[in-house]
Amino acid sequence: MKRAGWYLIAGAAAGFAGVLGLHGAGAATPSSPGPLASGGAGAAPAPAATATGGTSRSGDPAAPSGGAAPARRATGAVVPYGYGELSVTVTVRGTQITAVSVPLLRTAEPYSQQIAEQVLPMLRSEVLAAHSAQIHAVSGATYTSAAYAQSIQSALDKLHVK
Amino acid sequence: MTGPPGGTTADGVPVTAHAEPAMGTVFSFTAVRGALPPGAVRAALAAACRVLHHCDALFSTWDAASPVSRFRRGAAALSQLPGEFGAVLQECHVAKEASGGWFDPWAMPGGFDPTGLVKGWATERALDELRGAGLPGALINGGGDVAAFGSPGTGRWRVGIRHPWRADALACIVEIEAAVATSGGYERGPHLIDPGTGLPAARAASATVTGPSLALADALATGVAVGGDEALAVVAGLPGYAGYLIRPDGSEADTGGIAFLR
Repeated sequence: MKRAGWYLIAGAAAGFAGVLGLHGAGAATPSSPGPLASGGAGAAPAPAATATGGTSRSGDPAAPSGGAAPARRATGAVVPYGYGELSVTVTVRGTQITAVSVPLLRTAEPYSQQIAEQVLPMLRSEVLAAHSAQIHAVSGATYTSAAYAQSIQSALDKLHVK
Repeated sequence: MTGPPGGTTADGVPVTAHAEPAMGTVFSFTAVRGALPPGAVRAALAAACRVLHHCDALFSTWDAASPVSRFRRGAAALSQLPGEFGAVLQECHVAKEASGGWFDPWAMPGGFDPTGLVKGWATERALDELRGAGLPGALINGGGDVAAFGSPGTGRWRVGIRHPWRADALACIVEIEAAVATSGGYERGPHLIDPGTGLPAARAASATVTGPSLALADALATGVAVGGDEALAVVAGLPGYAGYLIRPDGSEADTGGIAFLR
């Protein structure tokens, strides 16, 4: 079933790749993480992607580095997959994907829902992990000294100690 | 390699980095050097590390002879303990009140246990050393709880929030002015105690709180990890603080007010 989940992602990726760059949302892009599971509520994919939370992206549009491109955001069509249907929203800045969220996720039965809820955060984190070079630190539950050695923070520290 | 010691931030600004084991974890330092000579930066980092080890000695619940251990078993009165102890006790009172009781060091098994706050508090005290030394900016990551001042060069400090089920991945990235703390049971097992029941509880896979004080953010993150949505609603009412919750089923919620980088 895990495997089905990953195929689901591959299909969704192909779907949203097609819509990237078609719509620019500019600086109005909401920054809240979208709900990962809409649980069959609502048929329209877009509102869930734009209405969550009250977070601001203050300072972001005025990103100081010279070549900062505005954030653009696009939501793909609702696509069927083996166990239901979903849509994916992607935010890009220049040529880099900066966020992936899943505003709509409907599954045929609870088990698939459960699997999808576990897999979808990984989809987003895969993308974000690729951007770890842009961060200065990682916040998380307190790690032991042993766990630190395996952490992203440890990798960042090695980058800085040259 | 020639040139000054250290690397650069993601923004290309020269920094001196240092990793210091303390309190059973590792503290990572990123010090923006500015115009300071390397020796002065090194001295400031050494002073900050001394602060950490001093706090460790005071508040280690593992060391039966530490002041906190003596206080726990009633072998020492507050008046017999160092001044830092009273300061932490006061912070604990404030945090218990602010968290609506979801963070309660007095309700822990084995007696008063400020562990959920003291690492954040100690990190702030260490950061004070770097600020006082005249560094233009610095960040300390105290085993997952982060305090910073100044700027990494351009813009604000960017902090990834660890994915609760994947050590090598991030759930999101946030920009901070001062502090961010995250709590969850994924690193050290179910150690989070519900003050209401005295039993382990986890209504969150991961709980993150940002705000001006890392001591309070640390305590509040512990509270949200225990209390889930109910505790998150308490954080939403605190001026200057904001929370981000990943529930055990992977769904998410936040209070607004966190600068997610997306």
